[in-house]
Amino acid sequence: MTKRNPQLRWTGILVFFAALSGVCLSAQGAQEPGAAPPPGRPDQIKIDTLAAYGKLELPAVTFFHDKHTKALVKENKDCQTCHLVENNKLSFTFMRRQGTKPEELQSLYHTNCIGCHLETAAAGKPSGPLDGFCRSCHNAQPPTPARLDAGMDKTLHYRHLASKAIPASTKEATNCSACHHVYDKQTKKIVYAAGKEESCRVCHGDKPQDGVLDLAQASHQQCVLCHLDLAGKGAKDNGPLNCNGCHGAAGQALVAKKNQEVVAKLKNKEVPRLQRGQPDAALITYVPKNGDTSGKSLLMEPVPFDHKAHEKYTDSCRGCHHASMDSCASCHTLTGAKEGKLVTFEQAMHSKSSKHSCIGCHAAKQAPPNCAGCHNRIEESRQPESATCKLCHLPLGKTTLAGSGARMTPQQRAEIAESMLKERPKSPGTYSLGSLPAKVEIRELTDKYQPVELDHGKHVQALLKGMEGNQLAQYFHHDPGTMCQGCHHNSPASATPPRCSSCHPRYFDPKHPKRPGLQAAFHGQCMGCHKDMAVKPVATACTECHLEKQK
Amino acid sequence: MLRRQFLGLLGATAACAALGKPAQAAGTKHFAGYPGSNGVLFDATRCIGCRRCEAGCNQVNGLPAPDRPFDDLSVLDQKRRTNAKSYTVVNRYDNIPGAAGPVYRKTQCNHCLEPACASACFVAAFTKTPQGAVTWDETVCVGCRYCMIACPFEIPTYEYNEPLTPRVMKCTMCYPQITSGKLRVPGCVGACPTEALVYGSRAELLQVARERFHAHPGRYINQIYGEREMGGTNWLYISGVPFREIGLREDLGVTPAPELTSGALAAVPIVASVWPVLLLGIYAVSKARDRVAKEETKAAVAAAVAKAQAEAQTKLAKTKADAEAQMKTAIEREVKKALEEAAQGPTEGGE
Repeated sequence: MTKRNPQLRWTGILVFFAALSGVCLSAQGAQEPGAAPPPGRPDQIKIDTLAAYGKLELPAVTFFHDKHTKALVKENKDCQTCHLVENNKLSFTFMRRQGTKPEELQSLYHTNCIGCHLETAAAGKPSGPLDGFCRSCHNAQPPTPARLDAGMDKTLHYRHLASKAIPASTKEATNCSACHHVYDKQTKKIVYAAGKEESCRVCHGDKPQDGVLDLAQASHQQCVLCHLDLAGKGAKDNGPLNCNGCHGAAGQALVAKKNQEVVAKLKNKEVPRLQRGQPDAALITYVPKNGDTSGKSLLMEPVPFDHKAHEKYTDSCRGCHHASMDSCASCHTLTGAKEGKLVTFEQAMHSKSSKHSCIGCHAAKQAPPNCAGCHNRIEESRQPESATCKLCHLPLGKTTLAGSGARMTPQQRAEIAESMLKERPKSPGTYSLGSLPAKVEIRELTDKYQPVELDHGKHVQALLKGMEGNQLAQYFHHDPGTMCQGCHHNSPASATPPRCSSCHPRYFDPKHPKRPGLQAAFHGQCMGCHKDMAVKPVATACTECHLEKQK
Repeated sequence: MLRRQFLGLLGATAACAALGKPAQAAGTKHFAGYPGSNGVLFDATRCIGCRRCEAGCNQVNGLPAPDRPFDDLSVLDQKRRTNAKSYTVVNRYDNIPGAAGPVYRKTQCNHCLEPACASACFVAAFTKTPQGAVTWDETVCVGCRYCMIACPFEIPTYEYNEPLTPRVMKCTMCYPQITSGKLRVPGCVGACPTEALVYGSRAELLQVARERFHAHPGRYINQIYGEREMGGTNWLYISGVPFREIGLREDLGVTPAPELTSGALAAVPIVASVWPVLLLGIYAVSKARDRVAKEETKAAVAAAVAKAQAEAQTKLAKTKADAEAQMKTAIEREVKKALEEAAQGPTEGGE
């Protein structure tokens, strides 16, 4: 056996321990799951174009777009410094047209990026990384881009619609055609279809497909090019031109501020309704897509839906019409279909966990303090009383049975819905306030304190006041007794509900886990509501409810 | 040391190690708690931080009056631990991410299913009662305070200011008062105005906790602290915020403390009893072997000496005989020579 080189052996041992400590250190430095990654910038772009053609030799490049546009403005250079013009349109790729070969890409980036950096450096100006500083651009651990969804709510939409800088086409009275389009299969052209405007997402998905651009590409072409064009023409309000303007928190704050200013000047301080031919009222019932109306009348009674009012409650049509403006039933069939992601019609209307469903949205409206006082006390998992179904599913009457709604024309349905909505009560109902006790004396804990004098009348008034101006609350609490059930729960609504001690025993019994003992029932009800409604007294101020016994 | 002795010791060590194993297995038998044992469920979403539990505990256990009254909530500005004057304290935890306001948590003995304090106590002063409580017996305690070091929740405390009869102080889950019928539930539970504390059988309480999870999805962290921690405790906690945020250790694991030490401790009697016997035996055997060898050598040497002596004698005798024979031959020859000379002599002389 040849004698080993001792130096080599020691080197080996050192390398081993270095590697081991490296592994340990990186394990130690690993982020805790759930911890937020370090925030990046909204203009951060990952350049990994070559990744499509095989494994990357070096990590992807982290590129800051706004940093470059800012530098170009200083130099009086424009977008065409980096983006070529193709078919009279600015290309969104870097320095290339369609059909550039993959083997050309690497040198294309290196030549142009480093070339420009070198030129800048030669001119004695601060420049980006030069030749040889590979890792300055090929950044192994880039921060996560802090890019927000640009979003287009109804106010921003109105600002575009009302903008004089975006002219109406010759055929239309509105400028909708400036953005909205459909693909005409016959003429193989992109055309405008009045009254068929959709959200961009209906066609432009997350990834390009069958020649249709993905949403990012489509919206950049539509928005950015138009904004640049308007800026070139010297329009007063040309819209954001950099990444931060739409995708950054600061840029979005500016947009929101401007939105507020615009709304403040409008009539009723409200954005006018969109004109897409939508009904004022709709009768929601299951209308099969294929128009099959032979179905038996086994459906729930239809729901008259105040479409016009609901337009005010949401930021955009997508609040409910999350996929397309078609009726819900076109995707959500009775038994669930692939296009509706197997979500049935019933679930689409009632799912509590979805923000697009009726119940889901209504449940979210119970979060503000005015509502939370009572609604936070109600078990989330509890099945609603079957009687509450009838609050939405109103009986159509003798002549028009449930299910026959499907046989009516949309016009007829709208008319019926409208008349039904008119008949619906508009104010919360209570028992006549005079018949209710003004004060209630609670004689629990009287061994330590004086009896509690509850100002019952004041509590009723406060709850009624909390519903003022809230149509949703007013309608759903119109049955007398519904509001009372916030406190007098679990027994049928009544003007003379049973005493709390009828159900709540003196002590908690683990065999009835959902039934607290009497003291905890009172405290849970009172303290919980006061905390959620942010009203005094606080939970630990015992003597504000229980007066000290006089000694 | 001879190679043979060394190997003998090695063998003995191996034998001891092998003997130790079954004992260890017996010590780690899974214990799921006494059936029907009682516990307390603490619900952090219900606790309002009123300190009534502290007052209730103080009263039923006849503890000394606190420095500041129980309705002084500014006490909560500092984090506190249990001490010899208070079996339980409530702490307030502020600025918890995701929580709407402060969250409170009560601290006291968790009454482990397999208590670390009991396993550390060499005089067995601690008892895990079948009713659930872990109790301490002052008549046997020697005051070593190993229990205080052993407890992962840092609960047992000591009356350091008591020079003659210092006691280990900790929550008893009101075991004496409940068994004697003085109390229906522990003092703290009875004093809680919001049922943030409920008393019942541990199995039922686990059920109660799960019912609450089900009734309010999203309100609770879907875990019952104490169901499995340190092998399980009779005091259980549920919370709307991660348990580490309200000062409950999440690094304890689910292994009961005794299981961590029972293997080593179970080996002690084996080592103490078997090793001396075995080692002395080996010593005696090798010693005896030495003695026998010595005697054998002695005998062999004696035999060899005798043999050599005999051989020498024979040789000597032979040499003697040879010498005598030689001498005889020489004498005879000389005599013969002399006779011949005598015969010739007168002739020559007569001329």
